[in-house]
Parts: sequence; C-alpha cells; structure tokens
Amino acid sequence: MKIGKCWNFNDDEQPPYPTIKVTLSSADREATISPKVDTGFNGWLAVGVEAVRKLRLTPRGTVLVRAATGHGEVPVYAVKISQADLALSHTTLAIGTERSLVGRKLLENRTWLLDCKRRRFCITTSTSATND
Amino acid sequence: MMRPFVEAIRTFRWEPFRSVDLVERLGYASGYARNFLSQATRQGLLIVESKRGKKEKTFRANPSVVREIVLRGGKEKTELLEALGLHSKFLGQYVALRGFSVVDHDADLYRLAERIFPDTEAQDEVVITNVGKPKKMITIEV
Repeated sequence: MKIGKCWNFNDDEQPPYPTIKVTLSSADREATISPKVDTGFNGWLAVGVEAVRKLRLTPRGTVLVRAATGHGEVPVYAVKISQADLALSHTTLAIGTERSLVGRKLLENRTWLLDCKRRRFCITTSTSATND
Repeated sequence: MMRPFVEAIRTFRWEPFRSVDLVERLGYASGYARNFLSQATRQGLLIVESKRGKKEKTFRANPSVVREIVLRGGKEKTELLEALGLHSKFLGQYVALRGFSVVDHDADLYRLAERIFPDTEAQDEVVITNVGKPKKMITIEV
C-alpha cells in the first residue's frame, strides 16, 4: 500500500477527528476549509454557518434530513467543491448544518487510511487486490 | 392567512378566481372572502389578474410565493406541496419547482441537483425540496 496525500486530524475536540482540506466556491466567492470527515453522512458536503457567511450562499431549497437527534429540515446550497489531490471539481448541493462536514460521497471509490496513531487521514494510491 | 391561501391553491391551483368563487366553492362568508382577498393581495400571496369593472376582480396565486414558502419550510411547505397535488405524484421524491411547475424530480437528491444546478449560478428561481419523507434520505451522524 502506498500512501498519498494526508491531512492532519483536528484536535479541537477529543478524541481528534479526521479532516480533508477542500476549496468551496459560490458564484463570486471562494473559501478553503477543513471539514470533519463524517462517515455517517451519506452525502457530499455540509456547510456550516461560517462557510455560508463567507461564501454568501443563498438557499436553493429545503430538505428533510435524519440526524442523530432526529429528523429536521435544513437549507440546501449550490456549491462547487474542489480538491486537487482527489482530482475533484464538482458542483453539488450542500446541506446547511452547524459545522462543515464531508460525507461518504466524497470518500467513495477510493481507498483511505485512517491513521489514528499518527493522527492523519490519507489517500492510498495502490493496494493489493484482496477482499480480506 | 395561510390556511385560506392553501385552500385557494388546492381548489383553483393557478387558475384565476373571484370572490364569489370563494363563497360558492369553499363556503366562505362573503365578508371573510373579501377580507382574505384584500389581505392576501397586500401580502403578495395573490396577484390581481384583471378587472372587469369594479365589482369583479379576478385573482391568481402568486407563483413566487412557492419559493418563499419552500425556503421557510415547516408545516406551511408541507401543506402547500400537498395542495399542489405533489403528494399523490411525487411522494418520497425530491422535486425542483419553478413557481407552481415541477421542472424535474428524482428519488436521489444529488442526481436531481446535477441536472438542475450544473454550476453555482444556474437557475436562481428554481427551488428543490422533498415531498413527504424522502425514500433516499440524507443522513448525518453529528
């Protein structure tokens, strides 16, 4: 297994959590943020209130989501998400939440290393073809 | 104010109607109907469509209200979508609305978004929302 690009865990809460640095763009603004990787989130991206403010996003609708605390309606925003190391540049709907998150849509079809010992989250560039 | 507005949409959709139609079709007292029309027009919920003399104004639901109600969410959104007849056709799906028209729909929010918002500047007047509980619901853990 070869390890590619890694991002450090954020230790502003305990235990520290994995992040990925991404660039978000709206029609006229851009911001680079390091959202928490939430493997329990089945979407692309959730934007926190601070990112919404920085990017001056306006809601494009509202959708019902299921969270740990129950169901709730959240605004959705059209956002371009870019990540050069993942060769990713994609306009999607981001849901509005308290804090920014990246979800499993961004992780799928890639192999990742969750290195809790060195507190880093990495892309692996090649793996042996086993199903173990 | 929202209840008679939603009832008017349920009954007339986006077709024009008169005060007398509210009385005959919805059973409203004529004073209540006139009061509703006056207030709803002032609030921008209804548009005065035409005048055939002073006594016979016709009204039509303002399509831009759909966007406002969807963005506000909550019970009013649910009642509006139901009044538009969307629950019978698109229950469990996501719809893209321009005014009263469904421009697209999909069970998958992201597939719909890719078609409606290919870039961040596309289709400013279109709103996306769920109709009832989505079959493919977005789930977050935190």
